[in-house]
This record gives sequence, C-alpha cells and structure tokens, in this order.
Amino acid sequence: MLREEVSVLVVDDVNTMRTQIKLLLKSFGFRHVSLASHGEEAMHMILNGTFHLILADWQMAPMNGLDLLRFVRTNEAHKNACFIMVTADNTKENVIGAIQLGVDDYLLKPLTADSIQNKVYGVLLKKGVLA
Amino acid sequence: MTELVGSQAEKIREFISELSGFALVAEYTLSTIEKDMEANKSMFSVFSDRMLAIRGTAQQLELKNIAEIAGLGEEIAVKGSGAETRSQIRKCVGSLWDALTTVKYLLEHHAEETSEEQDILIHRLQATLKAFGGSRPKVDEDEIAKLLRDRG
Repeated sequence: MLREEVSVLVVDDVNTMRTQIKLLLKSFGFRHVSLASHGEEAMHMILNGTFHLILADWQMAPMNGLDLLRFVRTNEAHKNACFIMVTADNTKENVIGAIQLGVDDYLLKPLTADSIQNKVYGVLLKKGVLA
Repeated sequence: MTELVGSQAEKIREFISELSGFALVAEYTLSTIEKDMEANKSMFSVFSDRMLAIRGTAQQLELKNIAEIAGLGEEIAVKGSGAETRSQIRKCVGSLWDALTTVKYLLEHHAEETSEEQDILIHRLQATLKAFGGSRPKVDEDEIAKLLRDRG
C-alpha cells in the first residue's frame, strides 16, 4: 500500500494536539487523516470505517486510550490495525499495561516531527501496511 | 511544538484557551473532594487526568514551569486517591489547591519570568510528594523500546 492510501485516525481530547498531529501527518504525505476527541467517538468511527493506523492519547473521557486499544484488539474486524499510544504518561505500570494489551509503539510527549515520523513509518512497515 | 506546525505564539494562545477549561474541571473536582474528603477521594483521579493533559501539552509547547507544577499536581493527586487518613487527604487537597492556583496564574501570565514564589511552591510540592513516597516509577524512550522488543 502507498502512504497516500493509508487511513489514519488521531484521537486526543486536546484540540491543539490533534490538529497539530494531523497537519504533520498531512505534511508527511498521508491524505486520509480523521480526528476524534475521545475514545468513544473513535470507537464509533472505527466501527463505521477502516483505519490502518490509530494514534491515540491515553487520558480521555469518555473512554480512554487504553480502553480504545482493548476494544480494537478484541474486535475481529479491526484487531490488526496499527496502534500507537501518544501520551505524556510514562509511568512504568501504565506502559507495561499498554504493551501487554498489544500496543504497537508508544510515543512520548513532547513530540517532534522526527519522533512522529519515525514511529509512524516504523510501525506501518513492521506490520506490512507500507511496502 | 516549535518544530511542528504554525507559530508558537498562536499555538500557545490556543493551548491557554483550551487548557483553562481543563483547569476549571480540576477546580470543580477539588471543590467536590473538599465537601466530603473520604467519600469523594476517588475523584482525585479526575484531577490527576486533567493535570496530565495540561502537563503533556505544556511540555509540547516548552512551558516548563506549567509542565513541572502540573506534573507534581498529577502525582500528588495519585497519592490522594490512595490516602488512608483524613489528614493525608487534607494535606493532598491543600497542596493541589496551591498547584492549581499557580497553574492557572501561569496559564494567564505564561510570558512572565519565574518568580521566587513559584520556586518555593515547586519545592513545597516536591517535599509533599516525597513525604507520600515519591513519584511512581517512570520509563524513558529507551526502556519503552526494550519492553517492546522483549515482548517479541
């Protein structure tokens, strides 16, 4: 698949953050970038669409990033979607929890253009979404 | 988010506007806890979540003082939810009011130099957190990469 065909969902309750991440992904050449402001909204969008990559914040309500990850990994139609947790929460217990639930990578704030690009391409290549 | 998109001043304006709303949620939460400290101590997690949201975006925008105080507020709130005595809860609530008041002030005056009062507050919050056993264990990017590799 080409990067122009990859469908990305960015989930963050801070508008400033999700808008910035979307603009950055667009600048990398990703054409299909959708936004959700919390996990529940993201869950409905996932059920009604196809996303190859989900970038989700951890702390959101209703439905946080970990619960969204759990939903994705237990949903037969979407369980193989790439999932990157984007958060300032680097407590060991929470990181391990996300890894055990099947997160593909973990992007710590503060984000840089390079860090986002590296993680996004790394995960898409590793899971065979991008050739 | 200097490296990302748009001017820093514009992003800070958006951030201040948005996160002032988060600070109001934190303020309401703290008022609710204060009304019945033992019954409502589970609400410390709401406060902690809002402080994490403020910290994350403040780190992104290189607003170091806001990030530091919000981070201390986040950790003290976590201690509050596990506090066993009323006096411990009261101490957490008192510290969190100080942290929140200062975060709100800094959101409104982010361009000002750090004052001695803010430094004193940071030291006081650090001491409070230490008295409650310190921050939760953290991992950095390298340790996260190792944990991901070890998973296979």
